[in-house]
Amino acid sequence: MTVSVMVVDDHPMWRDGVARDLGERGFDVRATAADGPSAVRIARTVQPDVVLMDLNLAGSSGVDATRQLTGELPGTRVLVLSASGDHDDVLEAVKAGASGYLVKSASVEELVDAVTRTAAGDTVFTAGLAGLVLGEYRRMAAAPEGDEQAPKLTDRETEVLRLVAKGLTARQIADKLVLSHRTVENHVQNTLRKLQLHNRVELARYAIEHGLDQEPDA
Amino acid sequence: MRAERSVLTRDPVTPMWVGTAGLRVLTYLFALAAVIVHHDDYARPTLGWIVLGAMTVWTVFATAANLAEWGRRPIGAIADVLVTSVLVASSAWILTPAQHAAITPLVTTVWASVPPVAAGVVGGRVAGVAGGLVVAVANGIARQAINTDVVRDAVLLIAAGLLIGMASTAVRRSDERLRLALRAEAATAERERLARSIHDSVLQVLARVRRRGSEVGGEAGEIGRLAGEQEVALRSLVSTTAPESNADGTSDVRPHLQMLASGRVQVSAPATPVMLPAPVVVELAWLVREALENVHKHAGPSARAWVLLEDVGDEVVVSVRDDGVGIAPGRLDAAAQQGRMGVARSIRGRVDDLGGTITLETAPDAGTEWEVRLPRAAEPVPTRWRALMNRLTRRDGGARA
Repeated sequence: MTVSVMVVDDHPMWRDGVARDLGERGFDVRATAADGPSAVRIARTVQPDVVLMDLNLAGSSGVDATRQLTGELPGTRVLVLSASGDHDDVLEAVKAGASGYLVKSASVEELVDAVTRTAAGDTVFTAGLAGLVLGEYRRMAAAPEGDEQAPKLTDRETEVLRLVAKGLTARQIADKLVLSHRTVENHVQNTLRKLQLHNRVELARYAIEHGLDQEPDA
Repeated sequence: MRAERSVLTRDPVTPMWVGTAGLRVLTYLFALAAVIVHHDDYARPTLGWIVLGAMTVWTVFATAANLAEWGRRPIGAIADVLVTSVLVASSAWILTPAQHAAITPLVTTVWASVPPVAAGVVGGRVAGVAGGLVVAVANGIARQAINTDVVRDAVLLIAAGLLIGMASTAVRRSDERLRLALRAEAATAERERLARSIHDSVLQVLARVRRRGSEVGGEAGEIGRLAGEQEVALRSLVSTTAPESNADGTSDVRPHLQMLASGRVQVSAPATPVMLPAPVVVELAWLVREALENVHKHAGPSARAWVLLEDVGDEVVVSVRDDGVGIAPGRLDAAAQQGRMGVARSIRGRVDDLGGTITLETAPDAGTEWEVRLPRAAEPVPTRWRALMNRLTRRDGGARA
């Protein structure tokens, strides 16, 4: 089955280059977009399997677009493809529902592999993202007014996430911990899913507390 | 833009000069009134009017000089003090002995207090006190006595010079700090502008060269690889915030490590700052740089490295892992002779000094991994205990072999 893709980036040279690279390798590039709002609008129509999302969009936030896309389109997965430096944004995008993160300096082969895996429902973790997620769990655990509902990592999940952060591949981790490849993938995916679920609960709680869940009167 | 420049170029004590000029005119009017009231009883009324004339000229000149920037120099303040002192002392010949005895005001009255104030504004508390002292001596000469009134005037004159001098120094210091802050802000803004511009232009081109180069292969592939290395280095350079220390002497470890990222080195860290005392951060960055240098030298040409920074509450953990050739058990001695273990030993020494622990894991073809653990509050563990703990926790290739 052909994987359909949409590329969101505000730099035409990069956007068209990535679109061509993927097109040449058999992906169905349905659309490209230069900013968040038009990405959301176009994606509603073309319903791509995977959206490649840059977070540094001129005049709009890739994080907000990610939140809208994953909220509205259950069949669409967002893979963040961004510069290595936007640490806070990457974490926010992943909490908002992105399935993975790849640095822009990744090779075409890595990109093709990441898009394929994202379409198949896997998470795409770089060492950098693992470090951010690990840090986020530790931050929540160390928060002074301990949030009862804050998700926690199991010892095994912590172990797996640390190895990802140290650059080991899922295969290497499976060998080292004597687990199946699939189990390692599941552990990684769980860490992300718990974070995303917690984020949605937090957003809903915030909305209720501030009366944002009610319809405006007029 | 104009507002910023005026802050950077204006004289910070200008308001104090305006105040000084106002004080001079006001006290001159006071002196004028005093002469009108008392001149009939003066021993030499003509000399009194001449001195008042000189005061008029000097008031006009000094006020104009203080309001214009050219008149705010030390030489101006010295002339001010000397001219005024001469005019103060001249009252010795103008007032009658009876007037001196009755503490009739001198011709100069409180007008004499202005030069110590001006000296304080120019040169701080030392100049202010000196100016007050000179005018106080002239006051003593005018009265030809040292009595309670002369001493009281001296204390007031010196105190005025001292306080205004301290105030002008404080104003200049805080202005200097403001200038530094504005300059730092301007530098940050400029840095962000550069980063945006680099991100929008150079990085896009480098990324395309890398991707096309690797597709074409051959020599173009080599060019693409070089472009890719520069792309990664430039990205981490423009996205890393400048390492800075906080007011409490701690500093964020992350920027120090993120600067070490390159095409072969990936740095992972939390999204929130990891604070440690600034000197510890510098040492830690040194350790990681040494470890990466070691990887570069010994792990093989294609080895990649990963740096992971973790904040586990009471400890900060830094791991440096590479996927290079590792160290075969039999090669440990040879490695020691090559100097490789020398680096390891010097890294260990530094970690000991910081009160931390270090472990090294390695096996043939499985790379090496350093893990440094530093306690948050650097507890003063006795060196011998620390050495013993290190021996217990050490798990290097030698122990495993």
